[in-house]
Order: sequence, then C-alpha cells, then structure tokens
Amino acid sequence: MGKSTGLLLALPGLLLLAGVVGLPLLYALYLSLTDYTFLKPSMAFQGLRRYLDALQDPYFRHALALTGIYVGLTVGLTLAFGLLLAVLLHQRLPFRGFHYFAVSLPMLIAPVGVGLIWKMILHPELGILAYLFGGRDFLGDARYALLTLALVDVWQQASFAALVLLAGLRSLPKEPLEAAHVDGATPWQAFWRVTFPLLLPVLGVLLILQVVAEARTYDLVYVLTRGGPGTATDLVSFYIYRKAFLGLDLSGAAAMGYLLLVATLSLTALYYRGLTRA
Amino acid sequence: MASALLFAFSLAFLLPLLWTLRSALLPEGLAYALPPVLGPLTLENFRQVLEGPLGRGFRNSLVVASLVVLLGLPLAAGLGYALARYRLGGHPLRFAVLATQMLPPIVLALPLFALLRTLGLSGSLMALVLSHLAFALPFMAWLLMGFFQSFPREVEEAAHVDGATPLTTFFHVVLPLSVPGLFASGVMGFLFSWNEFLFSLLLSGRETQTIPVALSALVTQRGVLFAQVAAGVVLSVVPVALLARTVDRYLVEGLTLGAVK
Repeated sequence: MGKSTGLLLALPGLLLLAGVVGLPLLYALYLSLTDYTFLKPSMAFQGLRRYLDALQDPYFRHALALTGIYVGLTVGLTLAFGLLLAVLLHQRLPFRGFHYFAVSLPMLIAPVGVGLIWKMILHPELGILAYLFGGRDFLGDARYALLTLALVDVWQQASFAALVLLAGLRSLPKEPLEAAHVDGATPWQAFWRVTFPLLLPVLGVLLILQVVAEARTYDLVYVLTRGGPGTATDLVSFYIYRKAFLGLDLSGAAAMGYLLLVATLSLTALYYRGLTRA
Repeated sequence: MASALLFAFSLAFLLPLLWTLRSALLPEGLAYALPPVLGPLTLENFRQVLEGPLGRGFRNSLVVASLVVLLGLPLAAGLGYALARYRLGGHPLRFAVLATQMLPPIVLALPLFALLRTLGLSGSLMALVLSHLAFALPFMAWLLMGFFQSFPREVEEAAHVDGATPLTTFFHVVLPLSVPGLFASGVMGFLFSWNEFLFSLLLSGRETQTIPVALSALVTQRGVLFAQVAAGVVLSVVPVALLARTVDRYLVEGLTLGAVK
C-alpha cells in the first residue's frame, strides 16, 4: 500500500523528467557515438572515436585548462571574500540591516544582467572604470580578459557565499567559543582554532557547489567576451556551444558534453555523501 | 576598522548597481558622458525599452516562469513527498534528482534542441517551459523533500488513525499545512526560470525571447544604447528581487539544496 501511494505521487514528475532529462541524455549519448553534424546528418556508428578526438582536440584541451584556472581563481576568491564578509556581518556592527541588504543584492540578478552591468562599466570608451583607469580595455586585452571575467563573477558569487557562511556562523554552538574566550585566546586565535574548524563542513558544501557552478559558466562569457579576445576566455561550456552551433558538429559536442558530465557527476557524488552523512 | 571594511564591501556591491540605475534614469545622451554629469532624470528609457523587444521579453518571461511554477510545483510536491516519506527509489533516485540539478546545462541543451526541433516545438513558449522544468522540477522537488522531512509525522499518523487513506492525508492534511514550503519552492522555481539563459537562447524564436535573451540582444543590435540597456537590466531585476524578499529565510537553504539551513 505505502509503496504504491509513493509511486503514484511521484509518477507524473518522474515521467516528465524522463522526457526532458532522461531521453535527451540518452539521445546525446547516442549522438556522441556517431558522426552527426547539422550539415551531414550521418548516423554511422563511430564507437568511442569522438571521445578520443575530443581528448586530442587542442582547442578542447585549451578550454579545459582555461576552465580549470578559471574555477580555481573564482572559487578561491569567492570563498576568501565570502568568509571575510560573513565574519564582518556576523559581528554586531552598526548599520547591519543596510549591509545585509547590500550584500544580498548581487546574488538575485541574472548572470546576463551582471554581465551587462559590468560591460557598461568596463566599456573602453564609455565606461566609468575605463575612464578612471585611463582608457584601459580590460575585456578586450587578452592579458586581462580572463581575470576580469573572473572578478565580475566573484562580485556576484561572493554575495551568495557570504550569506551561506553567515548562516553557517549563526548555527555554530556558542560554548566552544566561550571556552576559548575564558582560556584567554585572542579573537584571531579563537577564529582559526575554534570557529574555522567548526565551519569546515559548510565551507566544504560551498566549495563543491561553487566548483560545479563555475565549471558551467556560460552566460557571462556570452555577454562579456564571446570567448575572446582570440580564445583567451573560451571556457569549456562556451567551446562546446560553439562546436555545436558554429562548427555544426553535434556529435563532437555531445562527446565533450559527456566528458564534462562525468566530471560534475563525481562532484555531485561527493556532495551527496556529505549531505547523507550530516 | 572592521566597520570601514564592511562599508567598503557594501559599496563595492552597491555602486555598480547605483551606477546602472543612474544610467537608466538619464537621457541617452547624458548617460555615458565622461566625466559624468547629472542631468534631468527621466523615465523615457523605461518607456522605450518596454515598447521594444524587451517589453515582449518581459511578458514572455512572466508567462514561462508562471507556467514552470504552475506545472512544476504539483509534480514536485508529489515527487518530494514520495522521496521524503516513502523513500521511493532509495538512494539512487535521490542521487538522480540531485544530480539533475548539477548537470552542466550545455550537455542537456544540445540534445533538447535537436529533439524539440524534430518535434516541431522549437521556438514555442512550451519548449521553453519544458526545458526550464528539466532543472526547476528536481530543484523544487528537492526543496520540498527537505520540507516534508521536517514535517511532524504525528500529524499524518493522527490522520491515519482517523481512517484517512495516505492519498487523502497528503492532499487534505499535508499540503494545506505546507503552504509556506510550497510558496518558497514556487518562488525559487520562478526565480530560476526568470534568470535562465542558455536554454532560452537556444530554444526561443524572435517572438518568444525571454527577458535575459532580449537583454543580451539589446547590446548587439543597438550598439551602445547604455541608458536603454541599463533600464532593461533594472526592469529585469526589480520584480524578482522584491519577490525573493518574501522568502528571505529560505534563500540560503534553497540555494545550497538544503545543506545549510
């Protein structure tokens, strides 16, 4: 009785998911094993050749390496700024309501909107930031483009990270910190020896979520740089998109997508283990 | 010292937004004059933007996001309840529901594009709703699962003792008492759909552009009409920012998939 009620309640949702997630993923798997392009829709079976091609494609490898750097940069900065901000917000400083409001705004904006806001600010001729920094083209110069993209991303993500870590700080038990205080620990020592270790589970959760989110970065690249200049910001999601819709090679793009999928699935498994242990 | 640092952070978040608001309220010619000038404030940019493709994008996004919530929430409630109370499918199904939300959208976008084109649905609002549901449905189901897990079991047991069947209990006891959770998940689903870009870019046609797609097109089509782009950004943010305020205390929990309460 119980099981059948559960199945009955879940079935409509599961059927829809089978249609919009399961079926497309199977179709992509099938495509990745063939030679399908928009120009030449051949379904000749290719085995794992498209996967081997992908791994040997210098542009794909470049995109992967770039994404690795990008993820390291953005996640590192996001966690560092987020932690600092959360600690500041957690103290009983004046104007807390105002600060909380300011910090929580960026996370609500669509990444496309964030990209446009900064595109206008960074515009080499008309942007206020370029004006203040002597007409420098931060997005058009291959030396700065990836870093600039990353900083725009961090501007938004740090807002989210700060709120998550603040929630983490608020849920910590009070006693260990009081004990440290009684034992004469300085605030600095108390933070690193007591608060920080207690906060590690929340930091771990945030780390995985951020890595997955940053590895999927697409919207910002599309709005700010289109992968350029040259291939300076050609992150992997954007490269796969170009491969399919500009290169018209759907099979190659599907194979690359599956490689990316395997990477995020392993991170999801880590996340799930963390959730179920807690 | 700490206070000054916090003000520096708050300003770093606020100034770009205030700058955008300023550009949106100035006449086009003055919006990007450098050094900056202040001029007569106007709502003209908002009017122009709403009459163009962005106004249509606004309406499309409203329709799509509402349909995502209307169709997705009942399905998510059933799925979430089955996962929470009946442990349907055990760990593998739970993992699948979680993993679906973590998929790189590009992996799903390519085959969905090809499939919907074959079905002749490409370019329709329904295609957008279906594609958004791929992420929004498991997302809402996961949030509701957490909500139902913390729901006191005694209430359901009492209904059972009174002779209610499990289905009656769900529809007449659990759901009416879960309105806050349903509302929060609905708002989160709406937010997700409103801000979604990749699927909307690939699957929408000229007439069915959603607001992020219309915004991104505003830049390339019109060169540098900053005042209008700024007005568009403001218009796209304000409704969802206000909406999100209604579920403030669920935001962190929702966006960390229940890992941080």
